Amino acid sequence: MPWSDVPDPYRRAAWLGGYALAAVLAGSEIVILALALNPNVNADYRAFYIDRTTTCLNRDATGSYTLGQTVSFRSDGAKRAASMKVCGWSGSAGDGTHSLGETSRLRVKIPPLRDSLMATLQMAAVIRPPQITQRVVISVNGVRAHAVTLSGKEPRTISFVIPPAALGNVDTLEIAFDYLDGIPPTPAASNIYKRSIKLVSFRLDAI
Amino acid sequence: MALEAVVRANAGGRLTVVTIAAVPLLFVISGLAIRYAAFASVSEETGFAAYARALCRWDCAWYIGISEQGYERFPIPNHSNVGRWGFFPLYPMLVAAIRSVFPFPTILVATFISIACSYAACLVAWPLLEKNMRAYVLYCAFLLSGPFSFHFSTFLSEPLFVLLTSCVFLALKRSSYLAAGVSSALLSATRLVGVFVVFATVIQMFSEHRRQGASALSFPRWLLGRPDLLVAVLISPAGLFAYILFLYLTVGDGFAFLHIQRAFGRVAGNPLVFLWDGLSVVPKTGWLPTAPQWSALAAITGLALSAVLAVRRQYGAALFCALCIILPLITNLASMVRYVIGLAPLMMLLAMLLSASKLIWLAALVLFLGACYFMTVAWIGGYLALV
Repeated sequence: MPWSDVPDPYRRAAWLGGYALAAVLAGSEIVILALALNPNVNADYRAFYIDRTTTCLNRDATGSYTLGQTVSFRSDGAKRAASMKVCGWSGSAGDGTHSLGETSRLRVKIPPLRDSLMATLQMAAVIRPPQITQRVVISVNGVRAHAVTLSGKEPRTISFVIPPAALGNVDTLEIAFDYLDGIPPTPAASNIYKRSIKLVSFRLDAI
Repeated sequence: MALEAVVRANAGGRLTVVTIAAVPLLFVISGLAIRYAAFASVSEETGFAAYARALCRWDCAWYIGISEQGYERFPIPNHSNVGRWGFFPLYPMLVAAIRSVFPFPTILVATFISIACSYAACLVAWPLLEKNMRAYVLYCAFLLSGPFSFHFSTFLSEPLFVLLTSCVFLALKRSSYLAAGVSSALLSATRLVGVFVVFATVIQMFSEHRRQGASALSFPRWLLGRPDLLVAVLISPAGLFAYILFLYLTVGDGFAFLHIQRAFGRVAGNPLVFLWDGLSVVPKTGWLPTAPQWSALAAITGLALSAVLAVRRQYGAALFCALCIILPLITNLASMVRYVIGLAPLMMLLAMLLSASKLIWLAALVLFLGACYFMTVAWIGGYLALV
């Protein structure tokens, strides 16, 4: 039936109903848009997905660890190392666990400490000429602990004392590796795919 | 005599209806046969279930996950930073609903629904192809037995996207704006770019307004005076808004479908640079273009066909198709071939152009059927350009 054939009272009701429906739709869409523009998410989500200030999405992973034990990050130690890896890692492979992105993190539970701690890491640089070195800044519980420049393909052992300020009364150590010279697979690739180091082994000793 | 003419006309009409229904059905059967032959040539397994599983590549696994388990909350289980939020919900919801009635494996149910959607898309295309039988046959062959028919017969969003796009443009052709609005709402819940079809609706309204002899400046006032048209426009993005609300309530981020792209490594950039980079990846051996070259060529062809639509004064369809190509092109060339062949107005235009000459039409038909076999083998083998 053509619109003009609808009796007047019905036409008016339909006309008003149409406007009411249009208003409801427009109102709902504005409200939903407003909600979407104000996301209700935690800091980790915001940092990785929205602000893009990190390539390492924090997650609930804490590995158990006994002081003095060397954990292999090669394929042979994959199971043991897996629980320690928070984010920013790929593998394990035969030559170690590869870093992914601009930051990688490890997290381990440690017994109460009376002494200081010495960390010993075996790492190799990912190089692609002309990029032949990798600068890595290592922080423990947010405190800068060591900086190293890796070069060459062979793994290198580095040791450093963890600053007392990073320990306090904590029962967890979070070790962050920040890479200053990550290599993207292609010039246009996302920074989440940058490669910097291969972590071969990890060890903590009381001193 | 008059009665005889009516009977003859009725019989002719019935024959046309039967033909319209039979043509895509024949291509459903031939497509299944060709793709199965391709599957059998590379697989040691046999049977329809194994065939359906073999064709379920790339994004198909995500859709199966959504259909079976829904969307994750945050944090994503298994310490992953890649969630399913980037994949729109309508098609997996439809498959889940039908699976609840027919308790078969998800991929089997999805395969049947995809073929049914593609079949229905062919029927809807008949009036859109101006009832041109040659174009219709070619279009049906393309969707159901063509080189990319695996996209339209496995668990990907393309079959529903093509069907709903065709429904929108058919409704617009008939000036049924509310039907177009409802179809658009469903389209915007199928893929993000579906929301762009609202521009085609507004352009069609504008054209109708101008046809009535009114000025362009009076269009907003005319539109505001027609609540039915306002509802049609405002309901068009309803599917997208419903999904945004769902994500806000479950993840806390209504734009999670955009933000999750970071985890897939998609970075916004200059589309022209992406096209140039794609074209520059020349083959190291042989003469066949590389996967990035195929993707870049698909995007360029799609944009060129959109321009042809504009020249033919199909401004709404042209704008819709161009936006559907340009938006994903802002991030990179990934899946570009699939995105372009999933644009129904472009493929209908191609079918019309190739049907202009009988010889070309025949050659295209043979090429489509032959290429179906080789492209299915390439798809099963994971050829990157087809992702």
